[in-house]
Amino acid sequence: MAYVKVKRRELTFAERMYLPAIMKGMALTFKHFVGVGGRKGVTLQYPDEKWELPAFYRGVPSLVKDTAGREKCVACSLCEFVCPPRAISIIPREIEGVVEKAPEVFDIDMLRCIFCGYCEEVCPEEAIFMSKEYEVCGETREELVFDKTRLYEIGSTLGPDGGTPDAEKKWERLSREQSAQGLGED
Amino acid sequence: MSMVKLTIDGCEVEVQPGSTVIQAVRAMGADVPHYCWHPGLSVSGNCRICLVEVEGMPTVQISCNLGVRDGMVVHTQSAKARAARKDVMELLLINHPLDCPICDQAGECKLQEYSFEFGSDGSRFAFPKVHKQKHVRFSEKVTFDAERCILCTRCVRFLDEVAGADELDIVNRGDRNEIAVARGGELESPYQMNVIDVCPVGALTSTDFRFKSRVWFLKQTRSVCPGCSRGCNVTVGARWNRLLRLVPAENAAVNRWWMCDDGRFTYKAVAAGERLGAPLVRRGGALEETTWDEALAAAVDGLRKCGVDLVGVISARLTNEEIHLAASVLDEVGARARGHVSRTCAQDDLLRTGDGNPNAAGAALMGVPAGVPSLDGAKGAFLCGDDLDGDAAALAALDGLEFVLYAGTHETATMRRAHVVLPGVTSFEKDGSFTNVDGRVQRVQSVVAAPGDALPDWK
Ligand code: SF4
Ligand code: SF4
Ligand code: SF4
Ligand code: SF4
Repeated sequence: MAYVKVKRRELTFAERMYLPAIMKGMALTFKHFVGVGGRKGVTLQYPDEKWELPAFYRGVPSLVKDTAGREKCVACSLCEFVCPPRAISIIPREIEGVVEKAPEVFDIDMLRCIFCGYCEEVCPEEAIFMSKEYEVCGETREELVFDKTRLYEIGSTLGPDGGTPDAEKKWERLSREQSAQGLGED
Repeated sequence: MSMVKLTIDGCEVEVQPGSTVIQAVRAMGADVPHYCWHPGLSVSGNCRICLVEVEGMPTVQISCNLGVRDGMVVHTQSAKARAARKDVMELLLINHPLDCPICDQAGECKLQEYSFEFGSDGSRFAFPKVHKQKHVRFSEKVTFDAERCILCTRCVRFLDEVAGADELDIVNRGDRNEIAVARGGELESPYQMNVIDVCPVGALTSTDFRFKSRVWFLKQTRSVCPGCSRGCNVTVGARWNRLLRLVPAENAAVNRWWMCDDGRFTYKAVAAGERLGAPLVRRGGALEETTWDEALAAAVDGLRKCGVDLVGVISARLTNEEIHLAASVLDEVGARARGHVSRTCAQDDLLRTGDGNPNAAGAALMGVPAGVPSLDGAKGAFLCGDDLDGDAAALAALDGLEFVLYAGTHETATMRRAHVVLPGVTSFEKDGSFTNVDGRVQRVQSVVAAPGDALPDWK
């Protein structure tokens, strides 16, 4: 098929002047700004007033503990692997008990993190959750590498199990099944 | 003998009579999934994952124990074969724990790989799994997890057939079957860590490497073990610029699939003790840090002054290239004697040669014989890569010399007696080659960066 020539409409003088359109836009913005005709204005008196976050909001990734206060993370390093900007660094250690491994060091570099949520998605232990925390600031780069303590602190705001109760309690299940079969916890 | 011709997946292959189907498949560059079969071990045929379909045979057959026949037509990827493998996977996984997140094998686990390829996405097994002992100490070097074991008996057969140490066996019956150290006690074989590598799953893990890093983060480099003059091929795993493990790399002509336990730990020496990071020159009794230019000028000066009264000790732990260069330095100044420090290590019929110098053959070929030449009447000494710490008399003799040039990697008693010290690097930090006991020249590759300003001795 041959091409079709589209005829463009000639702009009117007012349109060519820009200004009327800009004024129109400004007026609309101003209406939202203060709230006209029964609508609430969108302006927040931050930081006195805080934004109500939607449920899907992804803030700082954080670590959570289970209802018995045990570390859920087993340092499998899948989040470290999946993290696109490589913000996470983990050094695992061996621990006593049915779950043999836990992180010794768990750092997330908040300057690198892009809040994609992949870490939460990949975690097989439901140990890392995106919190609602979005106020991340510091004066040095080092300050913005959040360590394990800090990540658990942020995670504790979500409640045990990250606020989404885990159907399966790994520690309890493993200990129960093992003792039922006559195997000691080693 | 005439070759046997058979057809595998539509390709004609010729193999030696007496081969098995799995060998024929591998000869044509493909593979059949397998757990219990290992090219270096006897056929056991217990894992059943290597099932293939053979035309004219009523059921699927295990390819590891099926001899080739002329005119045989084999399908490794037919629907029937794949369905059979899927069923085998399901049975193998019935009692398998969901341990991958804490299992060191994850990433190089055959169970994961074949599960991904043939397995189903869920389990139909509705009963509690059978639990077994976890974290069992088999020895100082090997940790065992009975739940993860698929009872393929590779470990049993390795110790029995290759290491000649009948140390592992299967105990208990039925679903309580597990691997245990025979007659109680612990593993003692000096080759016991190979069971970690032959174990296709995470049942046997290295206590040393345990939980240090996930394998997929490791930078893996092919190199040669510096432990003895056999020169076993190894794959060196490193992360954070630190060496984390040595595992054998297959080389049919040298070490086949194995290496000794001592060799695996040679990487530890690299970070142990005090590494030299900058050239040093003795000024007024004390060694002071300086630049390479100054140190080299001082070294050349010192060597020239000694002339024929120089004695050279060139280590047989250096690469061929370095030995050659160090020897030419000695030729240049006309040094009167040279040699290297002999080292012994354990010796047996499998791999260990008893000569702890990885490049003894290379050194000998380049005119650097074993044994430290006498320092009597010498004015100076050039110690390249070797120290004399093991020999008190020689150390004392160094004190009496006018000039001692030491090129090495670590702080040693010898180094503290030197006048000029050039920091060197270990075989994991440089490129070069070793000549093994059989005269085979093998390439060494750098894995991690050396500390500070240290440079390979040839630079
Ligand atoms: S949210 Fe994304 S970028 Fe941030 S730590 Fe998790 S995976 Fe990495
Ligand atoms: S994915 Fe989960 S369990 Fe694994 S290291 Fe990250 S937080 Fe820990
Ligand atoms: S042996 Fe393999 S499948 Fe089993 S837990 Fe370990 S990595 Fe996972
Ligand atoms: S420990 Fe590993 S090599 Fe030994 S039988 Fe079990 S799975 Fe096979």
